[in-house]
Amino acid sequence: MQFELGITRDGLKEIKNRMAQGAPTHFSPKELLRQYSDIVDGIVRKTFQKAQSSVSAPSVCLVAVGGYGRSELAPYSDVDLLLLYSSPQKPDLPPLIEKTLYPLWDLGLDVSCSSRSVSECLKMAQSDPYVKTGLIDSRYLDGEYEIFRTLYELFSKKILHHKVREFADSLMKDVALRHQKYEDPAYVLEPDIKEGKGGLRDFQIGRWVIRAKYKTDRWDSILFPDQSRILDRSLQFLWALRNELHLLSGRRLDQLTFELQEKIAPILRFSPETRGIEEMMRQYHLSSQQVWNFASDMLERVLYEPSPVKKASSTFKRKKLDPFFGMSYGEIYLLDPVTFKRDPSQLMTLFKHCQTYQAKMSFQTEEAVLESLPFIDDRFRTSESVNQVFLSILKKGERVESILKMMHELGFLSRYIPEFAEIEGRVHYDLYHVHPVDIHSILTVEELIKLKTATYQKELPLLTSLIQEIEKPEILFLTALLHDIGKGLEGDHSKVGEELIVQIGVRMGLSDEDKRLMAFLVRRHLFMLEIAFRRDLHEEGTILRFANEVENPDHLKMLYLLTFADIKAVGPEAWTPWKNSLLMELFLKTSHFFEQGKGTVALPKKEEVIRHLLKLLPPEIVSDYEEHLPPQYLSSYSWEEIAHHIEMARLLEKELLLVEWTIEENARARVTVCTKDRYGLFSKITGSMFLNRLNILEAQIHTWANGVALDTFKVEDSTRDIERRLQQFRIDLSSVLDGTAFLRTLLSKRQEPSIIQRKVIPRVPVDIRVNNQDSQFFTIVEISGEDRLGILYEITQALTDHGCDIHFARISTLGNRIVDVFYIQDEWGEKIEERERMGRLKQTLLNRLTPGDLSI
Amino acid sequence: MKKIEAIVKPFKLDEVKNALTKIGIQGMTVSEVKGFGRQRGHTEVYRGAEYTIDFIPKSKLELIVPDELVTQVIETIERAAKTGKIGDGKIFLSPVDEVIRIRTGERGRDAI
Repeated sequence: MQFELGITRDGLKEIKNRMAQGAPTHFSPKELLRQYSDIVDGIVRKTFQKAQSSVSAPSVCLVAVGGYGRSELAPYSDVDLLLLYSSPQKPDLPPLIEKTLYPLWDLGLDVSCSSRSVSECLKMAQSDPYVKTGLIDSRYLDGEYEIFRTLYELFSKKILHHKVREFADSLMKDVALRHQKYEDPAYVLEPDIKEGKGGLRDFQIGRWVIRAKYKTDRWDSILFPDQSRILDRSLQFLWALRNELHLLSGRRLDQLTFELQEKIAPILRFSPETRGIEEMMRQYHLSSQQVWNFASDMLERVLYEPSPVKKASSTFKRKKLDPFFGMSYGEIYLLDPVTFKRDPSQLMTLFKHCQTYQAKMSFQTEEAVLESLPFIDDRFRTSESVNQVFLSILKKGERVESILKMMHELGFLSRYIPEFAEIEGRVHYDLYHVHPVDIHSILTVEELIKLKTATYQKELPLLTSLIQEIEKPEILFLTALLHDIGKGLEGDHSKVGEELIVQIGVRMGLSDEDKRLMAFLVRRHLFMLEIAFRRDLHEEGTILRFANEVENPDHLKMLYLLTFADIKAVGPEAWTPWKNSLLMELFLKTSHFFEQGKGTVALPKKEEVIRHLLKLLPPEIVSDYEEHLPPQYLSSYSWEEIAHHIEMARLLEKELLLVEWTIEENARARVTVCTKDRYGLFSKITGSMFLNRLNILEAQIHTWANGVALDTFKVEDSTRDIERRLQQFRIDLSSVLDGTAFLRTLLSKRQEPSIIQRKVIPRVPVDIRVNNQDSQFFTIVEISGEDRLGILYEITQALTDHGCDIHFARISTLGNRIVDVFYIQDEWGEKIEERERMGRLKQTLLNRLTPGDLSI
Repeated sequence: MKKIEAIVKPFKLDEVKNALTKIGIQGMTVSEVKGFGRQRGHTEVYRGAEYTIDFIPKSKLELIVPDELVTQVIETIERAAKTGKIGDGKIFLSPVDEVIRIRTGERGRDAI
């Protein structure tokens, strides 16, 4: 049968491949859609005609609907057909449909077909918005033309332009439902080009509304020329992406997965490597923003247009706000359309009104804002009154985030603060940063506003009370909005950002004091997080160094608040109770340090510890142990804990291994392991934990002078089955230690290679830093790389092989990136300071961590 | 080619099916099954008498996919079927030697 059509399944594939290579899909993506649609037209017509001639066909008409009806057919899109008949009585269609569809299916086309009479179509279009939109895009293909003409005339006359508001309302509901589904961070990182927010479906929504309301198919005719040019460019880009997605995957795939991001970026001629992917995704975000602006603008025009009844009575409900603005039905409007031209500074007043009266602006006013964006020049940006109004918006502390979002969506924010334009749509190609930088920046402000309005009162009481103490919250909010402003330019973004924020501060006429504060916060916005998550907070030196950098309690407060908001705004999984407790610990310790004055936080004297121990333990036991306890150990635990550890150690005469734990919040536990020290003990412990899916967050490792090893861990089990896993861990570790089991064997069972290929995700380069400045007694090794099962075991094994003694470890995971920090000494208890030894250590670790090397 | 069998909670079936359609999967076989795993059966009391419900109703999906799609299909099912609670189900993967479409006699990939 296929030969009769003059084309085969392979032939069709061949055509698609040729199109992909021949016509550069990225220069005229829309052209490719049309070309392919024309080819399919030919095939469908031929099949239909053959079918009609072979069965006694009733009088029918074949219509293309949906995307195919618009002649926009991506290489693997659905081909939607409608078989139309005029009589109210259903003719005998199945033979005709069978003969038409089977050959098309056999060609590998994804065809669906419905058959309806003209009156059925019209009836359904009245109640079902999907049928209605399908008909808007319908196109005659073959058969009885009269039937199609009748349908289309009746549809245009009786349905299309009626009840436009209801139509828009049902479209709006569909949009809300769809967007909600794609809000999931997984979809933000791997967006759906068609269904996601600002996707191609949203564009159609806008177009349908125009069609229904303005009776035209030229969507560009109702936009400003600039706007329609930008929108068209955005659409071309989305189409280009979608064509490539279909051609590369060979199916109807609309989700831009990491794997395909990596493949498509070079095809669309972006720079090589990660940068190109980030550039491409930036263009995607900017484009989808344009499309969504268009769609929501069109929907609002219809949905928020006052109905004629309201219009008549609205004169009574109008309220004049000032000589330039009025308000009715919760919407602010311009009294005189030329206001902004005469006095652009009124733009800022408009936003202020929106905040004060909790109102939106009418869509005509929005249009006026868009039109007057070019008036925002340096005079506007340096105007004292404008800047004062802006700061007062921030200072008010209510709905600040929604006003900023409004400014951002209208393009006002990046005109007012041009530096902001550089971070719009900018993404990181990794799993951790969910949002583009501009969105992240606004979310950071939002998190602070939530604190300020006591949304987090219950879970974060300390932060909630701290933000109330801030004297100038507007400066904190402004800094939060601009903390990543340096990411638009090359170089270390904290340093670049510092320069930019000073420049912005000068322009806004801020005081020197405010500028200094903002500069400090931007330059140091990662500092608190680095210290809290990567340094040993038990070490006095750490707190001392941090306090010196932060200078005073006010800076500390602001930095703590900013750090919280910054992390929380990264994505739903970035802020964890664990990070919360580390930051709080650092904040409290540093505050105490400021209160007590410098230098008074000394290590507890050994004699003092012994004195306390004597209250808890019999004197003969204390004297047995006191000489063995190293000073580092004494400063890391409370007296009660030390006393308990000694009791554990005493049991070692009878037992090989003691493991105790306390569980916090169902998912985390503090584990104490006490045993005789031996070679590679730490990596045996981490290996056994890994075996039981226990994720290590922090470890403190101590060896007493009498050879007792006392290690404490904070571990986590995301499956909330931690008690069972810890039980099994104890069993596994004890059989590894007594020699009845070999860790190597246990681990290799766990690491049986899976035949399932790993999903493509952004790669993380390995980075190893050796630091001898931050700690007096230890060399700090900071390792960042791609997370994978058992990586900590491998690192600790490598450190052990190198003869290093690990004292403290802190492990953080950011998406698929790990940052592990180890405090180590060599076998003689010294720091590793010689350049050559540091180099060798790095090399050993690097060899172990280079991807592909999974040997245990 | 591989066969993917997934046992999922019945109320998750629609979600899994939709998620698979979204990534371009065009066909699958669905059946209602009963069974138990770690979830075990549970006892219900009705008018004073105890009844043990041994088998818990589940839905089973079967689909045949080309090798390069396996990772994505499995990930999609995992994501859609997951509630994080016990009894979320299992996914089995096995090789398939041949597929034949009866009507046309097509074999291999074309017959999927």
